[in-house]
Amino acid sequence: MNRTVNVVRMQLINKQTFVWVPLIVLGASFAMSIAIYAILNSSGLEGPFYGGGSQAPLWILLFVGISSLTLTFPFSQAMSVTRREFFFGTMLAAAMCAALLAAVFAIGGLIEEATNGWGINGYFFALDWVVEDGALGAAFFYFVMAMLIFMLGFWSATVYKRSGALVLTLIWVGVGVLLLVAIWAITRFEVWGEVISSLVGLGAVGLAAWGLLLTLVLGGISYLTLRRTVP
Amino acid sequence: MIEEGRALFLQIAESVEDSIIDGSLAEEAQAPSTNELAAFYRINPATAAKGVAMLTDKGVLYKRRGIGMFVAPGARELLMNERRTAFADRFVEPLLAEARKLGLGPEDLEQLIRDRAGAHVATTTEGNAR
Amino acid sequence: MTTGNNVIEVKNLTKRYRDVVAVDDVSFTIEKDTIYGLLGRNGAGKTTVMSILTAQNFATSGDVRVFGMQPYENAKVLSRMCFVRESQKYPDDALPKHAFGAAKLFFPAWDDELAAQLIDDFQLPQKTRIKKMSRGQLSAVGVIIGIASRAEITFFDEPYLGLDAVARQIFYDRLLEDYTEHPRTVILSSHLIDEVSNLIERVLVIDHGRIVMDEATDAVRDRAANIVGDASAVDAFVAGRQVIHRESLGNVASVTVLGALSLADRERLAAAGLDVAPVSLQQLIVRTTQNAAGSAASEEGALR
Repeated sequence: MNRTVNVVRMQLINKQTFVWVPLIVLGASFAMSIAIYAILNSSGLEGPFYGGGSQAPLWILLFVGISSLTLTFPFSQAMSVTRREFFFGTMLAAAMCAALLAAVFAIGGLIEEATNGWGINGYFFALDWVVEDGALGAAFFYFVMAMLIFMLGFWSATVYKRSGALVLTLIWVGVGVLLLVAIWAITRFEVWGEVISSLVGLGAVGLAAWGLLLTLVLGGISYLTLRRTVP
Repeated sequence: MIEEGRALFLQIAESVEDSIIDGSLAEEAQAPSTNELAAFYRINPATAAKGVAMLTDKGVLYKRRGIGMFVAPGARELLMNERRTAFADRFVEPLLAEARKLGLGPEDLEQLIRDRAGAHVATTTEGNAR
Repeated sequence: MTTGNNVIEVKNLTKRYRDVVAVDDVSFTIEKDTIYGLLGRNGAGKTTVMSILTAQNFATSGDVRVFGMQPYENAKVLSRMCFVRESQKYPDDALPKHAFGAAKLFFPAWDDELAAQLIDDFQLPQKTRIKKMSRGQLSAVGVIIGIASRAEITFFDEPYLGLDAVARQIFYDRLLEDYTEHPRTVILSSHLIDEVSNLIERVLVIDHGRIVMDEATDAVRDRAANIVGDASAVDAFVAGRQVIHRESLGNVASVTVLGALSLADRERLAAAGLDVAPVSLQQLIVRTTQNAAGSAASEEGALR
């Protein structure tokens, strides 16, 4: 079997990291969200109810991305795996994880719409602006978001391993500063209206496309950084 | 069994030679293989092979294709002669040096040797000479 | 020794970290199907050299060829090598079977039966997570991967840490047994020189990042002798010879001298009432290294 594909199997040794924790977080946040909606519903409120619960499993992928490097890269080197095989194998594992998550969200969304929000007008998967392009669009959106967040974790961990905590912190601070500058500029020139409407105009699929671009850029940087990283 | 400060392959060769000299390994008998020697002494097989090669070069062992290493005819005689020459260096010189310290001359040594050899013959049922 | 037999060729390898030179202009070749001892003190540069040979670390300058090719990012070369380092990290949740399962995926010559036998020999607990294992058990995992990988070039980096004397002997025995049946190139780093001296065919000694010895073990074995006895008699004998170590207690001196002793020498020694004691490989290497370091230091002093 192809060595790169075998890296996927190696990553899956850490079942807790790649499988159980994401599933548990997904299950728990779903259960809690529905419980809250049910309580609100039973106290007479009409809804529709939306919450931030569906974000939790996505943010968990930040942790998965970090772990996929820190826990497995040194071992992969002992297994005489090249950095390229490790990178692409890990990305493949991430894509499988993201695809699974996207499928769950898309199907969950379809069920939600069919049952009118689980009968209580509460929505976990099917956020209206996400599903307006259909189930496929929603799936694409969630897939890209999952990959992007995973990549943020993986990229951070790679930079940390190669250049240390100081460099990583400076980079994140730099990004934060850039965002602040952008917000200041938008406020200064009073163009919030235009910014927001163009974002809304993109829609979920449009946002996902930009997200994909960002993911690829971070991926390229991680790969180049990894090539000079010592386990 | 393995001594410090001496080349291993020489010690391996010597141990094989010892068993030829004392008769436990007869001429035309099969000698232990390189791997057997290596396993027994827990050493690198390449080192054992060097020892065996040395013995082959000396004419003590020969190879029978497909079967293994065998003790060459006349090997014992060859080794005995070699040892006799070395005997003087290894044993007689130190004996003389020690004797000198104790004030014993060559005639005293001769007497001592005869006395002790005689005592040996008396206590053993057969002599060592063949 | 034929040069077409080299599996590793290292030329002028240097590794510098800021202002520390970890590997200093090192050159050597490794021959096929030979067991090498890479010997030296802690911090001498052994692990760094092995890391660079397996492309886990990068050279500052110099040339490394494995099977005639550059090892960096070269799966064709790397898959034929195995290097489990002394403090190897394993995936967080991994059990031994996961580590060995992964090894089976990546080492084409991996032998499951051999691994099973070794697990038995070392009494490795199968249900304990690797991150929870004792130092000895962790070493056993590394040793099992190294031996069962049957990689054409296998490195063992101080593999015996945490292993008791019985377990170490098991390791040496199993390594030799497998090497005899299935020859491969082995590079074994150790500071327990005497323990491994019977296994290794060649000795590579590294000190402060430099190669100070690169010879056949047997050639080095009889290179020195300890002359023991009355101090003035000893000094008289060793005059004009290269001395690498001297100890004395009262009137008695023990001097380690380089160079084989001829028959005439032995007669002189016997006549002078001096004893000759053999020098173990470990003593020889330690004393030669100390001596080289000492004279290097005094040379630097002279230059100032």
